[in-house]
Amino acid sequence: MAKKDTLKALVSRDISEEVAGLLLTKYSTLSMVSAASAEDLVDLGLTEEEAESTLRKIGKRTTRTVPGTPKTKIAAPEPKTESIEEVFHKRNLSPAEIKLKEIADKQGSALPMKIITDIANGIERADLSDDIYTRLVATADRMYTSHLMDKNESTGVMAAHSIGEPGTQMNMRTFHYAGVANINVTQGLPRLIEIVDARRVPSTPSMEIPLTGIAAEDESVARHVASEIEVTSLLDIASVETDITNMRLVIVPNARKMVQRGLTEGDVVERLNKVKAVRGLVKSADLQIIITSDEPSYKKLQVMYDAVKTAKIKGIDGIARAVLNKSGGSWKIITEGSNLKEVLKVEGVNANKVMTNSILEVADVLGIEAARNSIIREAMMTLGEAGLDVDIRHIMLVADLMTNDGQVKAIGRHGVSGKKSSVLARAAFEITAAHLLHAAMVGELDSLEGVTENIIVGQPVTLGTGAVNLIYTPKKGERSNE
Amino acid sequence: MMRGITKRIGSIRFSCVSPDEIRRMSATKIITADTYDDEGYPIEMGLMDPHMGVIEPGLRCKTCGCKVDECPGHFGHIDLAMPVIHVGFIKDIKLMLESTCRSCGRIMLTAEQIESRRDDMSEMRDLGGGTIDLKNFSKETAKDASNKGVCPYCGTEQIKIKLDKPTTFREVDDNHKLTPKEVRERLERIPDEDLKTLGMDPATCRPEWMVLTALAVPPVTVRPSITLDSGDRSEDDLTHKLVDVLRINQRLRENRDAGAPQLIVEDLWELLQYHVTTYFDNQTSGIPPARHRSGRPLKTLAQRLKGKEGRFRSNLSGKRVNFSARTVISPDPTLSINEVGVPYIAARELTVPVHVNEHNIEKLRAIVARGPTPSMENGYVPGVNYVIRADGRRIRVTERNAEEVSGNIDLDYTIERQLMDGDVVLFNRQPSLHRMSMMAHRVKMMDGKTFRFNLCDCPPYNADFDGDEMNLHVLQSDEARAEARILMQVQENILSPRYGGPIIGAIHDHITGAYFLTHENPRFGRAEAMNIISKLKGIEVPKPLTDKNGKEYWTGKQLFSIVLPEDFRTTFKANICQNCDLCIKEDCRFDAYVKIRGGQLLCGTIDVKGIGNSKGKILDRIARDYGSDRAARFINEVTKLALGALMNHGFSTGIGDEDIPDEAALQIANNNQECINKVTELVESYQNGTLDQMPGRSLRETLEVRVMTVLGQARDEAGRIAGKHLGLMNPAVIMAKAGARGSMLNLSQMAGCVGQQAVRGERLSRGYWNRTLPHFHKGDLGAHARGFCSNSYKSGLNPTEFFFHAMGGREGLVDTAVRTSRSGYMQRRLVSALEDLKLTSDGTVRNTVGTVIQFKYGEDGVDPSRTVRGKAIDLDDLFAEVLGDDADILLRIDDRDVGEDYGTREKDEMEYTEEEDSEEYDDIESDFEGGGE
Repeated sequence: MAKKDTLKALVSRDISEEVAGLLLTKYSTLSMVSAASAEDLVDLGLTEEEAESTLRKIGKRTTRTVPGTPKTKIAAPEPKTESIEEVFHKRNLSPAEIKLKEIADKQGSALPMKIITDIANGIERADLSDDIYTRLVATADRMYTSHLMDKNESTGVMAAHSIGEPGTQMNMRTFHYAGVANINVTQGLPRLIEIVDARRVPSTPSMEIPLTGIAAEDESVARHVASEIEVTSLLDIASVETDITNMRLVIVPNARKMVQRGLTEGDVVERLNKVKAVRGLVKSADLQIIITSDEPSYKKLQVMYDAVKTAKIKGIDGIARAVLNKSGGSWKIITEGSNLKEVLKVEGVNANKVMTNSILEVADVLGIEAARNSIIREAMMTLGEAGLDVDIRHIMLVADLMTNDGQVKAIGRHGVSGKKSSVLARAAFEITAAHLLHAAMVGELDSLEGVTENIIVGQPVTLGTGAVNLIYTPKKGERSNE
Repeated sequence: MMRGITKRIGSIRFSCVSPDEIRRMSATKIITADTYDDEGYPIEMGLMDPHMGVIEPGLRCKTCGCKVDECPGHFGHIDLAMPVIHVGFIKDIKLMLESTCRSCGRIMLTAEQIESRRDDMSEMRDLGGGTIDLKNFSKETAKDASNKGVCPYCGTEQIKIKLDKPTTFREVDDNHKLTPKEVRERLERIPDEDLKTLGMDPATCRPEWMVLTALAVPPVTVRPSITLDSGDRSEDDLTHKLVDVLRINQRLRENRDAGAPQLIVEDLWELLQYHVTTYFDNQTSGIPPARHRSGRPLKTLAQRLKGKEGRFRSNLSGKRVNFSARTVISPDPTLSINEVGVPYIAARELTVPVHVNEHNIEKLRAIVARGPTPSMENGYVPGVNYVIRADGRRIRVTERNAEEVSGNIDLDYTIERQLMDGDVVLFNRQPSLHRMSMMAHRVKMMDGKTFRFNLCDCPPYNADFDGDEMNLHVLQSDEARAEARILMQVQENILSPRYGGPIIGAIHDHITGAYFLTHENPRFGRAEAMNIISKLKGIEVPKPLTDKNGKEYWTGKQLFSIVLPEDFRTTFKANICQNCDLCIKEDCRFDAYVKIRGGQLLCGTIDVKGIGNSKGKILDRIARDYGSDRAARFINEVTKLALGALMNHGFSTGIGDEDIPDEAALQIANNNQECINKVTELVESYQNGTLDQMPGRSLRETLEVRVMTVLGQARDEAGRIAGKHLGLMNPAVIMAKAGARGSMLNLSQMAGCVGQQAVRGERLSRGYWNRTLPHFHKGDLGAHARGFCSNSYKSGLNPTEFFFHAMGGREGLVDTAVRTSRSGYMQRRLVSALEDLKLTSDGTVRNTVGTVIQFKYGEDGVDPSRTVRGKAIDLDDLFAEVLGDDADILLRIDDRDVGEDYGTREKDEMEYTEEEDSEEYDDIESDFEGGGE
């Protein structure tokens, strides 16, 4: 019982179940674990790094100084002294922009900066008088004001229609990624549904990783970076044989493939020695790697074989494939699978420009605003790919709604719709009975502010023309004229 | 006279009904399971007791004394012999049992914990936390309180409770079954204060009420019985279920009172629990659903409410209406885009209420005097079907009483006049996917039996005339008419809010017509020119030009300029533009550079890019800058002009248009053969292993990619050869080039070669073992064996090609079927999530609770339908207005994009599948419920 609780507690502290299981072989409570030293844990069979991070997560400061720079784990809630450095990319305004902006401010017009920039770009090459500048701003302001959205417009329904209607014209197929890289990316309607569903993992996660420095120019360097990213399992570089007579595994590395992936035999041995099932049993012997079983059991041998076969030798978890692609004169990597957090750390990667199509991952690593932009980008790309034109404002609204409370919420009963304030609206959407019963239990009050509720009770809705009232007071004496 | 909404429901509070209240509001206690006696009268204290309301005409309700339709019905009740648990609350009951002490009933948290929980909850409420957040929070509280070994208040040791689905609780240690009675006793002990901590409001719902001791019986009006033709009565499902409950209840009471063995009582008790459970929800998991004699599962309370056919979605969110009509639609190019042709027969049934006042009383008397079916001698005139007196009584007007009723008409009467020209009606076609699916039209009375409208209105409705039906609704109040006219009329919806472009515009023949009128600027003599413009009303005919022989003529561009606004100016590239490397503008050889200054078309051809729906630049600008009235006029006039021009020219296409000379056919055949040979070579090199593998792909994938490219080229080349020989004067080519209908790809498939058929974007590979059809050798990877059609539609496919083509076509069909349901469900979710958002007067977008979603709509507050291809303002316009005509020179703008598309771009050619607009989702939108319920 107690152990089970401890296990739960450990897992909740972001310690993998594997490690937690190991810890529990010796310790039964959390306090016992935290009382232990890192060395104790290493004895248990953890690597030093694991031991350190475990203790850190549990809340004990390790007294040992770690050689080199300690990696700050993002997930670690405990002491994180690094201050966050704010980075501003402030664009310098061109003289024309400054001038236009000044005039606009003076005129008291609320022209968005985008329009000012556009005008400035347009007149860049011309030499115009001040008078013309003033007239440009005034005219632009007049046009802009006349294009504003009417008040009380039901922008939401407009957006929903604008995104939903073209859905019927999209196709259901996934096709290949544009360009040479043969990586499947979900497109069309399934992808759009996936975006509004806010799935944790997209059906075809993929990243686009532009390279920087020499990696961007030199193919072999780029290839090296790709090999750092792509997961290399043992079978990719070597063949594994089971030697039953000697109760051992014989691994024969393929020299050419090893070079291709930038690996040496030493690396492989080191990596394999960290694999749990064969820890400490891996030995290198002229061009071969031998793993001798420490107990004479076929079962153990089988376990070892399975563990070794799929062992990750190199690369980043989750990235099954990395393909090089040259565009615009510089190399970039396109991957199957996504792991933004780790990829950002890889040297040679242009971390400012890395893209992933996994929205939730963006939210986790870069924050909610980034996730919002990611939703907009992905949705616009999906619609654009299908040849459909949808105004970006509609998608912005959906993205803003999905990210409104700091978390990415799905459009649907587990997200936005399921969290509506009105009982009737929720009941009319899905899971009718449960919502009504719960409302009765807690004595919920439906204040009839939304659309569905008012339709249900038969009243005008509070949007559009229903949002305003006209009151006409007849003047005295007017009535008698009738 | 009272009109409009006078009262508004402010809010609705939900609560549970206590057993006391059930008994208090009950009109009668129900004790017998019988419904009717031998004479067919309802039995007192039976399920059809007249105290609970009446369903038969003539009878009076014994509680309120009203007749059918006046009596709202009254609840009755059943006193249950033993308490039973309400299934809907089973999870909540479990949480409460777990989190409270089994002996003292206190929640098992310390005082401080309770304090902090309560503080958190009130803070959540202050911060606007929704019910769902509070629900999750109190669930958390309950979880924290549960699984305590010992109660912190009385020290009683706790026993874990297990829920045996659906409604049985057991104590884990000795497997003791908790009877509902025991459950109820424990729930009773929970003090009010602790309930608040658990998120419940003790005033609206005490937990012990979730264990029922009395069952409310809904009024008979809720469960009416139907008398069949044979005279048999057929009872409602709910009545059936209640009969079951009553029977078992009766037996249970008798057995209990007679002191029957515990086992029997318990069995009956469980049976009662089963019946009450299924009475509430007949789809409870874990128990078999109660069935009707015929084997059909009963539709009980929960089933009545939920799902697409449930009360909420089909009766509350959507309602059936009167004053509506539905019939087949057909086209009529003579109507304005704002009109709809309504057949007389429909108009006689559809009425508009007209309030009688001193100004119109005489007129209305005359109309009423005509009766419901006035003579058609002088054309259609509206009659009157009903007259509503000032006291609200309705009088049906007939031929016979028309005169009399007419004489009696007085002020404050309302007459229901039949439809007439100019009435505002709503016109709608399902599926209503966007707001343009329902627009306001003006009625135009017409002969025939179909609704008719202008062809330009097809795209917003997504209608065609292959048997489509549409609905029409007549508006019944002045407010509604005013709103419809100002907001919903067709001309107000020319610009689509989806993208900043027109969705209503010239289509098909209109475009071909405009092309003939303006392309290469043809000259028309007086007779011809007058013929072309004869349909336009109130126009000024431009001055004719004279040729060298002194003969008068008009140019096509001149004629087109008639319909343009006087000060109109724009520049763009037409659809026929060949995208030359260097645009020579006005001197374009193809007459593709359109320039309009001062309302005169100076050069260029008018085609889709000018006036077409979704692409028309001229149309777009007129709608945006000149207002909807002008835009509607422009569309009406341009279509009439274009049709005039087309009829003057004459236009037809047929199978002969796809004829290509023998030498071209030979060229295509040779080219195909070449490509097929290339494929064979590729396959050979694949089999020999000499094929160069592409990075990141297997050898087989490499082969497929290479083959696809080669065969794609084959088709393109065939199309190119065919296109070259078809010539620019070919009607089919003209249609494709002008953007009226069809594409060059369609043409090349008809005249050149159909090309590779694909399923899932790959060459065909499935069918027999290692081959697609038995006509080929096993393992044949060649072009023909894997779905390449080298014939054209014209030359005819051979049997294997035909089969492959059908395979590709089938995929398209399946795709559409799946797509409609998936996208429909997505749309429903989107609408449900976004429906409450509106732009408030401070420029923020908020939901109805007041949460800010966006601080400025779309980051600039601009209405997408008023944008220029998504941009807030049109820079070209701005510069032209401020700097005049020299803008281009002044700003040294050379090749800024003049004429980018919007709406739908041409689909990737490889992906093209023929899609005849399928009708499967026409009437009934299929249900998109993605599981869940």
